[in-house]
Amino acid sequence: MEIEIRDLTGEWDYATLPDSIRIGEDCYLEHRGSFERMRSLRNPGLLLGDRVQVYTWSAFSVEPDGVIEIGDDSTLAGAVFWCAGKVTIGKRVVLSYNVVIADSDFHPHDPELRRLDAIAVSPHGDRLRRPPSVVEPVVIEDDVVVGIGAIILKGVRIGAGASVCAGSVVTSDVPAGSTVAGNPARVVTQGGQR
Amino acid sequence: MTGSRALEHDWFPRPLPANAAIDEQNWLHSSYAFLHYRSTRPRGLRAGHDTGIYVETFFDLGPKGEVSIGNFCTLAGPIVSTNGRVAIGDYVLISREVVIADSFAAMPLAPGAEGQPSEEITIEDDVWIGTRAVILGGAHLGQGSIIGAGAVIDFEVPAWAVVAGNPARIVSWARPSHSDMEVEGER
Repeated sequence: MEIEIRDLTGEWDYATLPDSIRIGEDCYLEHRGSFERMRSLRNPGLLLGDRVQVYTWSAFSVEPDGVIEIGDDSTLAGAVFWCAGKVTIGKRVVLSYNVVIADSDFHPHDPELRRLDAIAVSPHGDRLRRPPSVVEPVVIEDDVVVGIGAIILKGVRIGAGASVCAGSVVTSDVPAGSTVAGNPARVVTQGGQR
Repeated sequence: MTGSRALEHDWFPRPLPANAAIDEQNWLHSSYAFLHYRSTRPRGLRAGHDTGIYVETFFDLGPKGEVSIGNFCTLAGPIVSTNGRVAIGDYVLISREVVIADSFAAMPLAPGAEGQPSEEITIEDDVWIGTRAVILGGAHLGQGSIIGAGAVIDFEVPAWAVVAGNPARIVSWARPSHSDMEVEGER
């Protein structure tokens, strides 16, 4: 298979993306493959604001009902989105390398439903018979910085200007302007680890 | 060897940067590793002999970025993202999905961007770095230290210490049983 080098260097034709992906002015979309896991039937299913930068390691894995919105001037170094409902990213947000944002666990919690789900998602299973999963929107407000390898899970709202330290696992809301770290992520009151 | 040579096995159609000095007895997966390489230093990257730099390794260097890697190292796919200096010794093993970066929220620098000044990162001989660990500016990993998977390090780790967790702490020691290894980090 011939590798199209320009598909890896941001020089491909962004207009060839499906209609459900809306792109603002002066965006930089490095790797065409970042958009290959877009399965949303919503229109728009992915909205990128102006001057959004999406680097190689980013990926938008979006279920049929999923919608992702990214605000102006945000940078996605390596953010992988697993979206079944709604993920909203504000303006001037930085998502560093190896970040994961998921608005669902994508599987039910009840033990019997877990068994049914495992069968339905197996290679020869019927995915229409999957039991429903909990989906809770993720909101990352303006000017948030999400550090390397951080994981943001369902239902989380990260307040404007907050910092999420490298390697954090964020399972609950982060107050605006605060810094959180660790697993599970907690507010870091002073100094310490970045 | 220096200069703009191309790798014989390369699938990505670019020569290596002229200021990257990579020993010929060395394995480098592809010039794709330099997709975001903007170093203007005389030696932006130096990699010694018998060192393997494998698939998914990237050198996202800003204009002042400078990385040196010793001999007999294995880089199994880390991202090195810095506008400062990263010094890696000999016999160092670095696992997959590791990020070595000058800032906790590092990103590739756009062409022409100046970048911020940044703190040095030193990784001494015989260090192991587990998968998904994050090594940040100011980190100094002493000889033979072991960094557990997912640990986040921005401080000095003593020689032969085993550190793990987030926040990371010393959980054990891995000192050599024979004294014929240089134990320069012991204090």
